[in-house]
Amino acid sequence: MIRYECLELLAARMADQLVVTSQSGQRIEWAHLSKHEGNLLVGMMGCAIGVATGLALALPHRKVIALDSDGSVLLSLFNLATLGNLRPKNLVVYVFDNGVYSGSRISYPTATSGNTDLEAMARGAGIANARTIRNIETFKAEGLGALERDELGFYVCKVEESLMHREIPRPDLDLAENKYRFVRYLARTEGKTIPFMGRG
Amino acid sequence: MQDELAKSLVQGLKSAGINFVTYLPETRLSQIVPLIRDDAEMELIAVSSEQEAVTIAAGATLGGKQAAVYMENSGLYVSSYSLLTVGKQLGVPLLLVVGYLGGVPDQRNSFLYATIGAHTIPLLQGLGIEYMILEDGEKLEEKIQDAVRAANALRAPFALLFAGEFSV
Repeated sequence: MIRYECLELLAARMADQLVVTSQSGQRIEWAHLSKHEGNLLVGMMGCAIGVATGLALALPHRKVIALDSDGSVLLSLFNLATLGNLRPKNLVVYVFDNGVYSGSRISYPTATSGNTDLEAMARGAGIANARTIRNIETFKAEGLGALERDELGFYVCKVEESLMHREIPRPDLDLAENKYRFVRYLARTEGKTIPFMGRG
Repeated sequence: MQDELAKSLVQGLKSAGINFVTYLPETRLSQIVPLIRDDAEMELIAVSSEQEAVTIAAGATLGGKQAAVYMENSGLYVSSYSLLTVGKQLGVPLLLVVGYLGGVPDQRNSFLYATIGAHTIPLLQGLGIEYMILEDGEKLEEKIQDAVRAANALRAPFALLFAGEFSV
């Protein structure tokens, strides 16, 4: 399974969902595929699930999606225990697990290329709906099906290492610009005032 | 910390607009936890690491909440990565409610925490995070409001370090 193909399918399903990405090739690929104002392209490893969880808790009527990687999840394993207890029903986490630190440019293996099983870890942490997806048909049926369900979903998507993101232009938004665009979109669509905005 | 001081602290948070708190409990300010938990206007989220206390609170802030993170100062070391990347670099206001253990104004003056206390201010300075040390309840509500206003204006975390009477 190729990550970009999964993201293409996901992008076609976007409406008013909020999407938070961590640092990795998927951030570049997602920004290339989707120009939606509800995208928050967090550019740091190990932070996307936390930020997405906070958004899901603050906006429980809104579907929130986290796009993460094996390396990032391994860096922030405490997220699993917290999610396993909070279980926000409006959060779906896709972990694109290629088994390597692709950004290292030497494709150094992550623990998931060895004995580590993120689905089992998530289940053990209390995330009942944790699944491993190994082919695109299952991603279409189960992975995308999560968008319609009212349940925390944690999908470990086993993908081949792809270097496609190196050929794609990087996002043309800087972090602050992305944040303000995202927050103004939320203020507009939620009809609420964001405390730190608009006091220039 | 006396119960009245804990009540004043939580009332100060409410008056400043705080309505979402992530936390990993510690010893000095722990009486605030049940007060926040039982307050219908505040959401209290238990976490497993201060690093995600920061990222979850940041997400809630972007979603329209006025968020605080309650932690021990040892948690500042644990969360320094997310404080710098999500808090400072992305620019998300957060109120950090910190039990300031092991510093000079910590009246328990724990030997166990002395090193953590000694490096707390240099750590915040290194991260570029503004802070205020509170040692008693005088003008507590005003000081908390000042801190939240500063966090929003700076679009960055602001730390309130509680010691002195708060540590007794």
